[in-house]
Amino acid sequence: MPRYPWREHNKTCRRVTADPDVNFSAPGLRRGYIAAQPLALGVFIYGVTFGLLAVNAGLSILEAMLMSATVYSGSAQTATVSGLAAGAGIGASVATILMLNARYLLYGAALRPWLGQASAAQAYSSLYLLGDSNWVLAMKAHANGEADAGFIFGSGIAMFIPWVGGTLLGSLANEWVADPKVLGLDFLLVAFCTAMGMGLVKSRHDFQPVGVAVVIALIVDRFAPGGWTIVAAGLAGALSAFARKEDPT
Amino acid sequence: MSLRLELLPLLLAVTLASFACRAGGFCLMRFVNVTPRIQAALKAAPLAVMVGIIVPAAVRGGLAEWLGLAVAAIVMRLARRDLVAALSGVATVALSRLMLA
Repeated sequence: MPRYPWREHNKTCRRVTADPDVNFSAPGLRRGYIAAQPLALGVFIYGVTFGLLAVNAGLSILEAMLMSATVYSGSAQTATVSGLAAGAGIGASVATILMLNARYLLYGAALRPWLGQASAAQAYSSLYLLGDSNWVLAMKAHANGEADAGFIFGSGIAMFIPWVGGTLLGSLANEWVADPKVLGLDFLLVAFCTAMGMGLVKSRHDFQPVGVAVVIALIVDRFAPGGWTIVAAGLAGALSAFARKEDPT
Repeated sequence: MSLRLELLPLLLAVTLASFACRAGGFCLMRFVNVTPRIQAALKAAPLAVMVGIIVPAAVRGGLAEWLGLAVAAIVMRLARRDLVAALSGVATVALSRLMLA
């Protein structure tokens, strides 16, 4: 057994693959788009929530939609919009986004071995469309044997459309929904994470990183609440898996 | 439907910041050799990030949020559908807030 078996695997893949586009194809894109549909409703509802919040915070409908199409991150946009309402400038807004979206560094790094097989244009457009839920979906699909990186792009599109569409509806509906909290919509991201997290725990190997992440999250949340908790918990869980002596496979 | 011109530099800045995060991790991994340990770390990251989202909500939440977490987890175990479980959790929170208020 070679020390790094996947290197051999990658070499074989590259040799067999004459057409570089075979790792990023239309059928793969379609599979991703279809697989992500069950998540689209949730993203749509989340988009509606953001639209409601954004108009409440003083953004116009067009500004809210532009933000959804460019920043494309629920938690970061929600925080930025609240900051704007409180008079935040460019510096504070950028810092907020960097903090809340730092988890995407982990997402992108995790996708490298797979998405790195696609062209730069394909890879970076997939990354532009990347969201929490379609990343989890794609990682799950890849673990179950999905090899086509078009899956990531397709599932991204399936999230992008309802996100921007939901923002539009939410900004328009602002007048007749008083408080999103009454509907429990502020709990949506947390509920999704709980559900998907339960689905991701497969063996006792997963317990240690989760335990470490819980402890670190509790500590960081106590002393430096805000976007850092997510980053710290993610890094702590990853480091704990990295430091473990036993074979992770 | 209006767009304030003075808001455009800010929108551009936050867009670039957001994309830098998306592309950054992917870019950096070109220069890092993916050993089994790094692979294990990357595999553990998603669950740990979710923990980081759930824990603050659980700490700040009251009975309604705790019930919502429990229902989302239990429904996921039974039904194995992300959306069904998440919406059950949200509905539980909404109902509990109504009843407990």
